[in-house]
Amino acid sequence: MALLTVENLSIGYHTRKGFLKSVQGVSFSLAEGESLGLVGESGCGKTTIGMCLMGLLPENAAVTGGRILFEGTDLLQLSKTEIRRVRWKKIAMIFQAAMNALNPVHRVGEQIAEAILAHHADISEETAMKQVESLFQVVGIPPDRINDYPHQYSGGMKQRAIIAMALSCNPPLIIADEPTTALDVIVQDQILNAIKDFQNKLNVSLIFISHDIAVVADVCDSIGIMFAGQLVEYGTVKDVFNAPMHPYTQTLLASYLTLDKDTVHLNSNPGETPDLINATAGCRFSERCAFADADCSLNTPEWIEISPMHKTLCSRFK
Amino acid sequence: MKNPNTVIVQLENISKTFRTRTSFLTGASKEVVALNRVSFEIFKGEIFGLVGESGSGKTTIGRLMVKLETPDSGKLWVDGNYIAHIKGRKLKNFRRKVQMIFQDPYQSLNPYLSVFDSVSEPLVVHNVGDSKTRRDRVRQSLHAVGLSPPDDLFYRYPHQMSGGQRQRIAIARAMVLEPEFVVADEPTSMLDASIAIHIFNILSDLRKKFKVTFLFITHSLAAARYLCDRIAVIYKGEIVETGPAEDIIQNPQHPYTQALIKAHPRFRHSLKRNIIRSKGT
Repeated sequence: MALLTVENLSIGYHTRKGFLKSVQGVSFSLAEGESLGLVGESGCGKTTIGMCLMGLLPENAAVTGGRILFEGTDLLQLSKTEIRRVRWKKIAMIFQAAMNALNPVHRVGEQIAEAILAHHADISEETAMKQVESLFQVVGIPPDRINDYPHQYSGGMKQRAIIAMALSCNPPLIIADEPTTALDVIVQDQILNAIKDFQNKLNVSLIFISHDIAVVADVCDSIGIMFAGQLVEYGTVKDVFNAPMHPYTQTLLASYLTLDKDTVHLNSNPGETPDLINATAGCRFSERCAFADADCSLNTPEWIEISPMHKTLCSRFK
Repeated sequence: MKNPNTVIVQLENISKTFRTRTSFLTGASKEVVALNRVSFEIFKGEIFGLVGESGSGKTTIGRLMVKLETPDSGKLWVDGNYIAHIKGRKLKNFRRKVQMIFQDPYQSLNPYLSVFDSVSEPLVVHNVGDSKTRRDRVRQSLHAVGLSPPDDLFYRYPHQMSGGQRQRIAIARAMVLEPEFVVADEPTSMLDASIAIHIFNILSDLRKKFKVTFLFITHSLAAARYLCDRIAVIYKGEIVETGPAEDIIQNPQHPYTQALIKAHPRFRHSLKRNIIRSKGT
């Protein structure tokens, strides 16, 4: 059975201009030990999904439909107290801004021990510090840095500490929200290796949120491409990369700068993100799509199954 | 278009050390060597890439060139000016010719200024034209960065725009004085991949249209390769390799450049890993 099944999840934000439908009808599932990458541009709803799984949506957000089945229970039905028991112990998060995710006035080791102690009343402080030591080993921080303060760490080390914190309660599911975005290429490579490493060793499931499609390809088994609040393509990394079906996926892959391909001039007109307050029924990508015809902007696109593990939300393949 | 004989920027043995106070009470200080005997030159009309990791000193070089910092030793000429001695009226004239685009468009634009006020501010500071010419110059500049129709944007504020639009406003602001030389310091590191390409294409068009020379500072070799004619790789305050962009990628000489290339995410890797994985399970 899948560890996590998200069915038809819709989330919106109350804004001054109206109700903004940030996530619309998103479904995916995740097996134990599997890693799924969610890729899309800023504002496509990928972080909103992550925050919803953590039960950390802001006050003005509302879930308007769907279910999140985690180990058989619907997370959306849980009370605030119940979700606090799940959070961090069952589902932990590696936050985007590692620079700001650590408390500057506490020693790094103590902060991680605190996370362990908060969820395990029966553990002594000494045992917790022992566990922190072994976590540091997993993520690759030298043990003599355990009593340092965050400002004594480099950006990459802070990100490692944040990973150690996410692993601290041994959760079955970890959500990583743009964990390498603020880092340069060499440190990014090290952090991605650390993530792949703990994932293989500890067999945790991983949801990896990023706007960088190559980074996701490096870490994940399957991939979901998001555009304007909807999942538009879903499949194994291999299928999606070898045969991208949705025009948006094709644009994403074409606009990625590599060192392998010959340099070509890439045409770019990214266009605007569609209005998510007064969203129409038609395909949301139709305005930016090279293949769109009149029907695309009128009819709601349907999921097309290309293979059992690869599907796309596009009317072109009907 | 490129004339290799005309050098617009020349650095000769530039060194710079920063002092940080480590103890609040004793005033003890620590020295951080940001740049160590850096030398290279940039030719007129080219886009020159400076590639390195965080803390390598690449931003310090950019700031030296626009005289936001002064070197401890070494010689630096920009657009015919010997930077160390430049001051007064000459400095103001220099500031007109040399501009900078900063990393974070969320912080580099004043949130209280409308697009028109932001882009026209350099014209006001340098006393260029009357109000009608200024409007035209702003319009042209916005048009050049692909923001059209420009008039619709005049009275919008930064918070009403996306990151890509903000960075284009920042570029328009840098271009409005028609500078000779522009330092672009990681102009896309806060933006999505597809928007980054769009910004690169705009910079490339500006170079063609206005014959402006760019220093492009980045941590991504792939971005430098896409945009630049020549690249210098900087590591711990020293230039380790300089050459035509394609040569550096295809035939890197220095171990650090090789490490940078190796660390760059690749699609091929993942495919291989996946094949191995599916065999195992």
